[in-house]
Amino acid sequence: MSEMTIHSLPRAFHPLNITRSFLSLPFAYAGTAALLAFACVTRPALVSPVLLLLIVRQAAPLAITVLGQSLCMRVLSLDLSVGGVILAVSYILTSGILKYPEPVLLIICILFGVAVGTANAFLITRIRASSVIVTLATALILSGVVFSLSQLRAPGEAPAILRYVGQTRIGIVPIPPLVWLALFVPVALFLRMSVFGRYVDAIGANPRAALMSGIPYVRVVTIAHILSSLLAVFSGFVLIGFVGAGSLDIGRDLPLSSLVAVILGGVTFGSGKGGSLGPAVAAFMLTFSFNLLTSLGIGEPGRLMLQGAIIALAATRRNPD
Amino acid sequence: MAISTAKPNRSGLRPATIALPVLLFVALSFLSPAFLSVQNLSNINGQIAALLIVSLGQLVVALIGGIDLSVGATLSLTTTIIVSVSPDLAVVAALLAGVAVGLVNGIGVTIAGVHPLIMTMASMTFLQGLALLIHPVPGGTVPDYLGDLASTSAAGVPAAFFWCVGAVMIASFLLSTTRFGLRLFAIGANQASAARNGIAVKWYSIGCYVICSVTATVAGIFISARVSSGDATVGAPFALDSVTAISMGGVQLAGGTGSVTGVVLGTIALGLLTNGMNLVGISPFLRTAATGMLLLLAISMQRRNVIGV
Repeated sequence: MSEMTIHSLPRAFHPLNITRSFLSLPFAYAGTAALLAFACVTRPALVSPVLLLLIVRQAAPLAITVLGQSLCMRVLSLDLSVGGVILAVSYILTSGILKYPEPVLLIICILFGVAVGTANAFLITRIRASSVIVTLATALILSGVVFSLSQLRAPGEAPAILRYVGQTRIGIVPIPPLVWLALFVPVALFLRMSVFGRYVDAIGANPRAALMSGIPYVRVVTIAHILSSLLAVFSGFVLIGFVGAGSLDIGRDLPLSSLVAVILGGVTFGSGKGGSLGPAVAAFMLTFSFNLLTSLGIGEPGRLMLQGAIIALAATRRNPD
Repeated sequence: MAISTAKPNRSGLRPATIALPVLLFVALSFLSPAFLSVQNLSNINGQIAALLIVSLGQLVVALIGGIDLSVGATLSLTTTIIVSVSPDLAVVAALLAGVAVGLVNGIGVTIAGVHPLIMTMASMTFLQGLALLIHPVPGGTVPDYLGDLASTSAAGVPAAFFWCVGAVMIASFLLSTTRFGLRLFAIGANQASAARNGIAVKWYSIGCYVICSVTATVAGIFISARVSSGDATVGAPFALDSVTAISMGGVQLAGGTGSVTGVVLGTIALGLLTNGMNLVGISPFLRTAATGMLLLLAISMQRRNVIGV
């Protein structure tokens, strides 16, 4: 056995195998390269370092959300409540409805995220309701409550700490991507090296086998959902800081965009495949493509149609049967 | 795979399913004097007619264990087509679009093997974009003959009532007297057994998605006639409202259990709740939150065997 492994090692460098492994890479890598190349030709201004850094900054909230979404999707669940969570976070922080100092508000938001994640996870794992319906319902409840509260008190300016985080840069690098990196590296390493990460892959590959072999299924899915909501809260922090004020529109397209990014990033239902980097690259790719579409004069309708087509095609492409 | 335990019957009707609309009706007639007026009752009828039609389509898909989240966007798309295409072709064009949407959903789910929720969410997004592209700002004029279909009344009974009765009759006929209907229950109960017993599961599934999209189109035609304008976002709430309505009517989203009666009761309950909140003066935004709560409550009563999507 060990001999075979040794002999087969050079095979990895065989041209055929290289093409094969290249083809099995998530669509996001090739897509990003193609988009950048396309932009170089048609809109060279978009690929200047200054603008690219701005786009990276713009992509940071999505990339943070995507981190949580990909975790949920790897355990065959889905979190569509992230938009509602961000909306609620924006309201808690900017409306002044809770009169506490800023750090306390931030902590309240974090606790709120944990609570929403726990509620989602409870309904999904204990009541065994469909995660799509549960999280859509959570989003409905959150946005309904925030909208009706905002008739009493409209959202206002973002806390100073968040504005600082969202709008300053260190050297030429804006802070939001650094926040993303600070969250991404530990989560990605944890998933790759810990037993928990193995459990995630096992559930993703075959949920029934995972359940029967005694993997703490419920606990893993619960943690995934709590982390997802928590990351949505952080994404909300960055987004609010970056925008500078709260609004009732904030985070509206994040649930769908994050879903698209995760699928493009190579996480597929039922295969157990998918890492953490692919979805992050896909988040950049999506943000870049939105900018490109805007600069080409294609508005919201075109964007929605493109997103829909991408979800369907990307979900189809790799399905084993 | 999905073997439901303690299943009383195939219709999914439980005492709670029947009691909820009745209790709401009684409570509302005590709470608000305006509730029992003929004007208000016919208002409710008009409000729930479209939802009822959409929900009946959703029922057909739910029976085979699928779900269609694109119904709302299909409905919006229909209203935009109705006001944009020349009056003679408007209805035909809308129906063809509905068939096309259903085919894409069905083929995506059965042949490409995409999860129904993801597939229909994808088409929902796409169609929403398309609707906005066709008709970005609400408005436009609806063909005259359609306006009459939704606004006339016969013997004091508003047209909406006839739309409801028609939809319910067609759905009950399809589900309880035809071979097609029986086979849907078989597929929903156990897809593999159904296939081994010679049912062409793929074709039936595609058929279900087409039926669902076409009913959404019919609802869209009704709405555009009723509102007499096109609006690219009018259908947005229908996706979850229809799922809520059928879940409240005892339909199991895992498939194989459900009835037209249940859907009618669920839709009436949801409609009464909405109307009641209006009459009592609760903010429409809280109504959204209430729908969310109801949806959670309704699906909490259906325990599945799978965890996740």
